[in-house]
Amino acid sequence: MSEDRRSILEMLAQGKINTDEAERLLAALDKSMSAESGAETRTKPKAKYLRVLVEDVKDKHGVPTKVNVRVPMQLLRAGVKLASLIPDQAHAGVNTALHEQGVKIDLSQIKPENLEEIVDTLEDLTVDVDQGSGHGTVRIFAE
Amino acid sequence: MIPLFAVIKFRNRKNDRWRGFRLWIPLFLVWVLLLPVVLLLVPFAVLTLRLAHMKAGRSLAAFWQLLCSLRGMHIEFEVPDHGVFVRVY
Repeated sequence: MSEDRRSILEMLAQGKINTDEAERLLAALDKSMSAESGAETRTKPKAKYLRVLVEDVKDKHGVPTKVNVRVPMQLLRAGVKLASLIPDQAHAGVNTALHEQGVKIDLSQIKPENLEEIVDTLEDLTVDVDQGSGHGTVRIFAE
Repeated sequence: MIPLFAVIKFRNRKNDRWRGFRLWIPLFLVWVLLLPVVLLLVPFAVLTLRLAHMKAGRSLAAFWQLLCSLRGMHIEFEVPDHGVFVRVY
């Protein structure tokens, strides 16, 4: 319970305001809170791309090896959707192959209903790996 | 909407100077040329998906979505003397 709501209820309990006034205050509080949360969602635009930037050590000319990949989030959605359509009998084989490669993902857990959740989680992802001077850097983020 | 163009750029460095060329690939022409082949292959694809116990409609829709979402893809590799840049529009 928020501090404002608690103080309104305390004022009601102490008899400082009547039930009608308390109801009006609570309604006004709900309205302002929903407006605030709406403003928050408006200020945070949905990420469109997943970006992977890799920069390795510089050569004798000072030119580093660079990799810059921008993957549309829609492509990830489509990929996860396609993965979720893999028939049950194929899951075991695919899971074993993934485990052998060190990818511990259970494909049977990927379902169309939790697809959005997976991609939304990626939007908050930021990975920065900096190995110090003379070594490479890796940045993964959504934009 | 399916991708309409792709740009592939190659760069090479010789004697400290970068040289390269850029290819604009009109993907919409590729799609037009591939359309009759795709229409011929669709029944076979549906049959194969059915035999594999996969939902044909949903699988084809997901594949279409995959193709459409390629727009905006950007891949760039640059090693000291060479560079490749691919962008899908």
